[in-house]
Amino acid sequence: MKTRFEHAYVLDIMAEDRPGIIARVSGVLKRLGGNIDQCSQTVLEGYFTLILVVSLPKPMEPEDLAREVRGKEPEGLQVLVRPFDASVAARPAPAAEPFVITAFGRDKPGIIAHLSQCLAGKDINITDLYWNRTNDDFVMVGQVAIPGRIDLAMLQADLAAIAAAEGFTVRLQHENIFVATNQLRLTRAAKQG
Amino acid sequence: MLRTEEILSTIQMLHAEHLDVRTVTLALNVDDCAAPTPDLLCRKLRDKLLSRAARLVEVCDRIGRKYGIPVTNKRLAVSPVSHLVAGHGQGTAVAIARTLDEAAGDCGVDLVGGFTALVEKGVTAADEVVMKALPQILAETRRVCASVNVASRRAGINMDAVAEMGRIIRRTAEATAAEKGFGCAKLCVFANMPEDNPFMAGAYVGEGEPDAAVNIGVSGPGVVSSALQRRIQIGGKLTLGDLAEEIKITSFRVTRVGELIGREVAEALGVAFGIVDLSLAPTPQVGDSVGEILKALGIERIGAPGSTAAVAMLTDAVKKGGAFASSSVGGLSGAFLPVSEDAALSAAVAAGHLSLEKLEAMTSVCSVGLDMIAVPGDTPAETLAAIIADEAAIGVMNDKTTGVRLIPVPGAKAGDRVEFGGLFGSATVIEIRNAGVSGAFVRLGGRIPAPIQSLKN
Repeated sequence: MKTRFEHAYVLDIMAEDRPGIIARVSGVLKRLGGNIDQCSQTVLEGYFTLILVVSLPKPMEPEDLAREVRGKEPEGLQVLVRPFDASVAARPAPAAEPFVITAFGRDKPGIIAHLSQCLAGKDINITDLYWNRTNDDFVMVGQVAIPGRIDLAMLQADLAAIAAAEGFTVRLQHENIFVATNQLRLTRAAKQG
Repeated sequence: MLRTEEILSTIQMLHAEHLDVRTVTLALNVDDCAAPTPDLLCRKLRDKLLSRAARLVEVCDRIGRKYGIPVTNKRLAVSPVSHLVAGHGQGTAVAIARTLDEAAGDCGVDLVGGFTALVEKGVTAADEVVMKALPQILAETRRVCASVNVASRRAGINMDAVAEMGRIIRRTAEATAAEKGFGCAKLCVFANMPEDNPFMAGAYVGEGEPDAAVNIGVSGPGVVSSALQRRIQIGGKLTLGDLAEEIKITSFRVTRVGELIGREVAEALGVAFGIVDLSLAPTPQVGDSVGEILKALGIERIGAPGSTAAVAMLTDAVKKGGAFASSSVGGLSGAFLPVSEDAALSAAVAAGHLSLEKLEAMTSVCSVGLDMIAVPGDTPAETLAAIIADEAAIGVMNDKTTGVRLIPVPGAKAGDRVEFGGLFGSATVIEIRNAGVSGAFVRLGGRIPAPIQSLKN
């Protein structure tokens, strides 16, 4: 991605969720003459988090930009800033197919660690992860990119073995089944991301 | 990127509500196996089936694992055997049936359709050979399914063929008396038989179809029934329009799954993708029943007044959702009412709530007709023929497919319970009122002319 202005930064902001956080952040950037080039926000259990790629017409030290955004209020925002490197996103990703891992069962510590270590050992990237614990039970939904060289049946067996040992249920299914049943777009397009 | 709720809702359908792909049917034209001697013909037929279909089961299982969805049945359909027996006798017809049976077994498929004759306007010598062989081949083979088209919108109803099928059904029941007439469960008599139907016993490869194609039958009624029950539990004021909408959405989702799997299987096998058949095909498993959908819609006793309207709404909503989901919808695409294969329908017959006459009325608004109905073993052939004629008339006049799969159970009387086992389920022998008094009509024979296409009231 090419940012609007030459001097680009990645901002990571966390706070207790309340109205006005985005108004504050975007207001500071406007005052600095900057531009928001991309952002993504999520709220989890009352905690707000926002990641942005922004660019400014004049260079700033990352820590100075963080201080400007953070402001002076005692309940101010937690802000991390680092220079944006466009080559990070431009690195070619290995050819991979999108799959979804779902797991359900009785919650206990270490389940994500077991599963993610199995995936990491096979160079499988987790592109999105959701976990929710209700009473003693958990639900996990992970979207992953599986390189073409991975034997799917073997991977499914490895995950099933972890699940059997830890006492939960796990499934690994190609993304297209979820696209087909929920979205109007063609499943063929899913292969191109 | 997918949303978590979307993923969880699909997981619910797949694993709690048992969404599956009901059948992947590989349709193969085998006309090029014709040969002057039965030996050569059967060798060519066997070679063709094994070379094209040997990987079917393995491919379906692999793709099923990839998507986490089972392909419940893998089947074969071939072009009408009547094409192959032209110039041959009954011995060749039987040899072909045995070859189909063995080759299907070697490919790991449970049923193969296409022992078929199309006689809506007249019977050729080859058709006659096929029809005469039916009792024997249905008794001597396990996997071969047979179908005979006796009527069409353009030809009318061939009453000579209808009468003959009445006799053939009786003979088939007697030839398989030890299995309670089970041979008849593999024989369908049709009006307006679709060329691309993936469901048994009527699957075959019709005129205008490609050399090879994959046709898909989507998941059963259990998913629709669960969706309706979930919608009802959410509460609020619901109308039949709301419930039709729920059926439509479920049908859309189910059809998209069928098309996804079908296209990928076809690509892996190097053949064309044919059609998705939207039909809700029940199994004897509790919960996988069209009857239970009717109950969910508020018909307490299946067969009670309102049943026909409920089936009409169900069938129409399934078609609307499916037609939006896929541009390749075909086959029968409606709601099946196979009595022995549907636990709730079977129970309704046993309780005396559902009569043959009400079933006939319900088939006028759904596919596919009077299906898997056990009747008394002493039902006269001419009465069976008259039932076929009634059902064919519904198909011909309404420009839709109808079929008849009746099982006269030797030695059984109305009210007796019969177990067929497995997918074929169990049934209570249904009462046929006024049996034996339609003979003069059937014996007149000839052809009931094709209906007028205007003056549609």
